[in-house]
Amino acid sequence: MDSGSIITNLIGILTTAGTLFMVAAGLTLVFGALRLINIAHGSFYMYGAYFATTLSAHLAGAGFWVALVVCPLAVAVMGALVEVLVLRRLYRREHLTQLLATFALLLIFADIALRLWGKDVRSIKPPSALSGHFQFAGAAVPIYNLFVIGVAVLVAVGLWALMSRTKLGWRIRAVVDDPEVLASSGTNVPLILTGVFALGALLAGLSGVVIAPQQAVQPGMDAEIIVAAFIVAVIGGLGSIVGAAVGSLVIGVVETLGAVWTPSWASTFIYALMILVLAIRPWGLFGEAER
Amino acid sequence: MMRKNLTAVLAATLLVGPLAACGSSGGSGSGAGGSGGSVTVGESTSLSGSIANLGQTGLQGLQMAVDDINAKGGLLGKKVKVVSADDNAQPATGAANARSMITKDKAVALFGPVSSAVASAEEQVAEQYKTPIFFHTSNDVSLMTKTFTPYAFQNVPNTTMEPRAVADYLAKKVGSKQITIATFAPDYSFGHDTVDGFLQALKKLHVNYKLVKQEFPPLGASNISSYLSALVSAHPQYVFNAQYGGDLVAFTKQASQFGFFKDTTVIAMYAYAPLDALGSAAPTGAIGFDRAAFWAIKNPEMSKFVTAYKAKYKKYPTEWAILAYASAQEWAYGVKKAGSFDSDKVIKEIPGATVPTIIGDMKIRECDHQAEVPEYVGTISKTASSQYGGLHLYDNIFTAPFNDIALTCDEAKALQQ
Repeated sequence: MDSGSIITNLIGILTTAGTLFMVAAGLTLVFGALRLINIAHGSFYMYGAYFATTLSAHLAGAGFWVALVVCPLAVAVMGALVEVLVLRRLYRREHLTQLLATFALLLIFADIALRLWGKDVRSIKPPSALSGHFQFAGAAVPIYNLFVIGVAVLVAVGLWALMSRTKLGWRIRAVVDDPEVLASSGTNVPLILTGVFALGALLAGLSGVVIAPQQAVQPGMDAEIIVAAFIVAVIGGLGSIVGAAVGSLVIGVVETLGAVWTPSWASTFIYALMILVLAIRPWGLFGEAER
Repeated sequence: MMRKNLTAVLAATLLVGPLAACGSSGGSGSGAGGSGGSVTVGESTSLSGSIANLGQTGLQGLQMAVDDINAKGGLLGKKVKVVSADDNAQPATGAANARSMITKDKAVALFGPVSSAVASAEEQVAEQYKTPIFFHTSNDVSLMTKTFTPYAFQNVPNTTMEPRAVADYLAKKVGSKQITIATFAPDYSFGHDTVDGFLQALKKLHVNYKLVKQEFPPLGASNISSYLSALVSAHPQYVFNAQYGGDLVAFTKQASQFGFFKDTTVIAMYAYAPLDALGSAAPTGAIGFDRAAFWAIKNPEMSKFVTAYKAKYKKYPTEWAILAYASAQEWAYGVKKAGSFDSDKVIKEIPGATVPTIIGDMKIRECDHQAEVPEYVGTISKTASSQYGGLHLYDNIFTAPFNDIALTCDEAKALQQ
């Protein structure tokens, strides 16, 4: 492989990993704090993208930048409502009930999206500052891909700082370990849970906005991403942010190099890898074995 | 091991998912007998997921054709009703829908799905219940060869014709120059067949090409950056891309960010829908092909249809809508000639006939019930069309004639069992 190909593949790996990480991190964060696997997490990603197409259609020029701030917040509000109105009632139920309920939410959100946006394929243009590419060591480097990677890195660093450097992060971790003690020490546990869920939704929404100029925004993208994000979270270990980051990178490497060396087997490798991880470490690479 | 159980349950939920999303809509007919009342036709197609746009606009074309028939007093004095259902691109669901439309809704004709795999399943149902079925989107050549039944009709350039038309165009363009080619196609039978057909056609035309990369990303995968990186690294002069709809839009956006369209000529199904989705981001200079380019079909009926469609759905008609409309006209022609809705009478009237449709006179071949339709190929224009809302359409449109690209009747018959 020449240096150009190495750089091209590296960009492919990091772009795939970056978009996956933002969605998988939210999924895994919510699982960590709420012990809930939210299938409707894919809807937040899709709504982020759809909101962005609508907003940038109405705002010329700076539309994308406004969407980048406003749309994830709108999705976060949506997430908070879902948590308060629906999921809060399900925390003490069986996991099967939770799965079916969030799966129902995914279908309902998909139907609402069809009513609102129809079945057309939508797309938005990247802002002019981020379009185009430059040559580097014999490879064309798309600026937008660097932007996607940059946003993912910021999200990763931000999440790490939040969880390990702030009081709020300490409380979130305490919610996972001992909600009763935390509640008796005067912390508003339900508020923290709603906040974590909204944050997870925000991250999915952000990923949706970020991919909108690169991918087709269309029905079905919710289900597609949830499968991929779930595989990442399982490989990395449900509940672990570091695991989500490593899991995304692993998937990025397997997909990209798989596509280069054995194109038609790339997606098979990913499932095989998931089975392998489940067989050896059922709790994932960075997860913890059940207490 | 709670987490292990969770995983199993989740996996099961995700797998069952597509089944839960199906449903049917529309009214039911009152059978075929007597005068007055109504008859029902059915269309089970993909109305959800990443190919929903193909299914939906096809259904809209059928609905408009039926509305136009009804506005002129119906067929043999009866109003025509359309029932529809979502097949989720699953052959079993499509077959079940088709069966239910025939037995429960008393559908007298079926119109085809998007996916050829589903079409093949529905073709068997059509034969079993002796009900005519018209394929206007799925285009696998084996529907009219390997699994041919007299109840099935295909009104799309099939998987032999379409890539041959494009190969013809490319051969004229490159002459005897040596070129490097890569292929990119969704990983299922349509993608593989179309790519194979294209390469075979190039060989037959003695194009001097070297294949540098072949990739088959999964159908509907919107994140293809890994596949794309591999393609970019291969530096092909030409890429034949058999993706369509949203997949093609995603490919185009990501590839153009690599500056890919500057040194590489992409050849792909840049029909109206992806060109509309891309807008000013359309890859000018790339080679596009379209099964029914409304802007290239010049006749008063087409203009009337385009205007009416635009007024109703706020968009121009896709090739899927146009060919669905023509298919309904074909069925109605057969019914009128037969003077009856009876399947066996209707299907005798169509083969060999020349049916007037919005795409012009459409001849239906007797040997395999393939409509003698052309394929439209062109280079995406650098200038946006002022007539069609600023879309980048084709320069020098090339209409590949049916006889140049289709299997001969002898070849088709040899493939029929």
